[in-house]
Amino acid sequence: MTGLLLLLRRLLVVPPVLLAASVLVFALPRWMAVDPARAVLRARTAEAVPDPATEARLRVELGLDRPVVEQYLRWLGGVLRGDLGYGYVSRTPVLEQVGSAAMVSGLLTVLALALAAAVGIPAGVYAARRPGGRWDRFLGAGTIVGVAVPEFVLAPWLVLVFGVWAGLLPAIGWGDPAHLVLPVLTLAAYPGALAAQLVRAETVGILQRPHVLLARSKGLSGQRVLWRHGARLATTSVTALAGMFVAGLLGGSVVVEVVFGIPGLGRLLHRAVPAQDLPVIQAGTLIVVAVAVTAGVLVEAIATALDPVRRTAERAG
Amino acid sequence: MTTPGVRVLAALTTAAALLLAGCGSPSGGGTPDPAGELTVALQFPPRADYAFDADDGKLLSFLGVGETLTTVDDEAAAAPGLATGWEQDGDSWRFTLRPGVEFHDGTPLTPEAVVTALRYVAGVEAPPRSIRDIGFEIEADGADAVRISTTEPDPVMPLRMSSGNLAILAPAAYAAGDAPDYLRSGTGPLVLETVNGVESAELTRFDGYWGEPAGAARVTVRYVEDPQARALAVQAGDVQFAEGLPAAQLEQVRSAGAEVVEYEGARTVPLQLNQSRAPFDDVRVRRAVTEAIDRPVLAGQVLAGSAQPAADLFGPAVPWGATEPPAGADVERARALLAEAGYGPENPLTVQLWTFPNRPELPTIANAVQAMLGEAGIRVEITVGNYEAQEPEVLAGNYDMFLNSRSYLSDFPDAASTLTSDYTCAGSYAIDQYCSPAYDALVDRLNGTVDPAQRRQLFAEAAGMLDTDAVGVMLVHPLNTAVLRGATGFTPDPLQVRPVLPQLIPAG
Repeated sequence: MTGLLLLLRRLLVVPPVLLAASVLVFALPRWMAVDPARAVLRARTAEAVPDPATEARLRVELGLDRPVVEQYLRWLGGVLRGDLGYGYVSRTPVLEQVGSAAMVSGLLTVLALALAAAVGIPAGVYAARRPGGRWDRFLGAGTIVGVAVPEFVLAPWLVLVFGVWAGLLPAIGWGDPAHLVLPVLTLAAYPGALAAQLVRAETVGILQRPHVLLARSKGLSGQRVLWRHGARLATTSVTALAGMFVAGLLGGSVVVEVVFGIPGLGRLLHRAVPAQDLPVIQAGTLIVVAVAVTAGVLVEAIATALDPVRRTAERAG
Repeated sequence: MTTPGVRVLAALTTAAALLLAGCGSPSGGGTPDPAGELTVALQFPPRADYAFDADDGKLLSFLGVGETLTTVDDEAAAAPGLATGWEQDGDSWRFTLRPGVEFHDGTPLTPEAVVTALRYVAGVEAPPRSIRDIGFEIEADGADAVRISTTEPDPVMPLRMSSGNLAILAPAAYAAGDAPDYLRSGTGPLVLETVNGVESAELTRFDGYWGEPAGAARVTVRYVEDPQARALAVQAGDVQFAEGLPAAQLEQVRSAGAEVVEYEGARTVPLQLNQSRAPFDDVRVRRAVTEAIDRPVLAGQVLAGSAQPAADLFGPAVPWGATEPPAGADVERARALLAEAGYGPENPLTVQLWTFPNRPELPTIANAVQAMLGEAGIRVEITVGNYEAQEPEVLAGNYDMFLNSRSYLSDFPDAASTLTSDYTCAGSYAIDQYCSPAYDALVDRLNGTVDPAQRRQLFAEAAGMLDTDAVGVMLVHPLNTAVLRGATGFTPDPLQVRPVLPQLIPAG
């Protein structure tokens, strides 16, 4: 089976998963006893007890008097047409809100993962060169800190050091390249540290494999063996991890987006949930699920392409 | 798992963070520079695309962009705004417009412009509370006035007109027939030039303003919801003004040279007691709860000074509120009252206390109240849940105690609305289930009382009656905060009606 066919076969799983996700996303607020009509009125008037007549009128206007299945099908039809409706709170198109926020979070995610890979992978490979050596011990301590320190601690720390004390970078805001530096550093810390640990462990193991030892005995230089045989294989496990991080960073970087005042998807959802802005919550969640599922499939395909053993096994299967 | 090395590193980094937090060049004030620019960090972003007819009512006024027919003075009485005078004639009020006022688009303020603006806002799906259900109608009355009529004579129409929801924008703003276009269409000292969603906005000084010009030539507004981020932005010098910093952050920004202003707000945290059933249908039990709670300790220690102890519903934010702090707890008196009501070691009283986490101070207060009532022999079981789920139950009287947070001025500085909705027999938000014909009669007198001093007297009497009848326990009034570093000129407004940004002057 060719690589393309394998990829297409994997992608076939995406639509049914998204359909199931759409049912959950639609039903969840209703299970949580959120009344959309009240949510709209509360959002618009900030009143503890909305006017019953206005509430009843709005219920009809929003189609909430229709059977739930019909409401779902109408909502799903809108989603498929790219019509996500208007936010209850902002009264602006949800597609615009979610689309623009997803672009911001997407940029942060890509930059953070690129930085994590660019630093974490070479650092891990380099540490595997001499397990127990000075660099390996230093990297071990550094990555423990990177994995252990949560974003809500790291982000203010970076602001204190680079923004308040050194005065080199802005503490908050979005729009200039300088605004990217601290958020990307914060987001890259955990995946970067994890990648370094993982690559180091994998590479140490790979360097003990017979084919690597054979390559060495044939006179291949240590550096070449390290980077060509060790690093390449070790990277496959990191690639699989990347799929998980893409979805997590896209929708889950709430802390970073709130602390740095970044208009991303995490902050949008963080704001929409207490405001009960259902169209925004539903659209944002659906996008995160879609990206998670698609990224998972693509990353799995890339990992297979990089790993000859998996590639052979899958083609045979 | 945490290794010793990590713990040492964490300790070192924490120490360094504390040191760094105190760094920064002291500035606070400096020399005022009216030609300069400011960047400010505001707590609440526009929720509804600056739809001032809805929840963003105060925002355009706060920014100094939109203005209303009236404003309020320090005594919470109506004061001239876009109208210079007003007089009542039966069920209508005539407002004389200020001459020479221009909108930001260069068109003049006319009676027709005011009619267009207020008819729009009165005709939206859910009109603002300030003009809802009163039969609001408006028409031009001559070349320099408008006439506003209502179904019944309305004693507080000038105060209603100070509500930020009733800002007057240029007629062109309403031309599209949809939500008004708020860019370059107000009359205030600052022109709203551009907005970037809920992230930021750019304002410039309006040179044609009729009153005192804005203190800065240009203001950039950043909406930053996270209090820690606002504090760090002040310390880093990214912004020169920020509002709404928690008590824990104040010392940090002070040490960076910022000027910190704490002032009262029109909000109360009440412990509401269900009087429709036992045990709180017995006034002795309600009084026992009041005696057992140490409000000065709640405000000063539990909330670390970020609130004032409440002696009545209103407090010092308004002229009719109590200014003297309440007494501390009298546990012995509380026990005696409980004993009178039949509760004691032989018949212990256990009650449920519900609250919600949207306002983070509430669960903290709930825990402190639980401990204080425990001293007096009342066992309290706390449930921190979703307000949405709790609200129908508490309104139906299916609860014991409810810890709430309530702004007692609804859109304009007059307490009649809250006194009616929260405490009358037919009130729409009568969570305490309190029903007193004497109280209802007192509140009813507000309908015919025009004189501001008399109204204030009635508000105070109503608050006193609620206190006498122990209708819940008014615990604390949370304080507002503002921080300046590189700016001056901020004057606190507990009523939060007057514009804030035009006051601020850059200071080098």
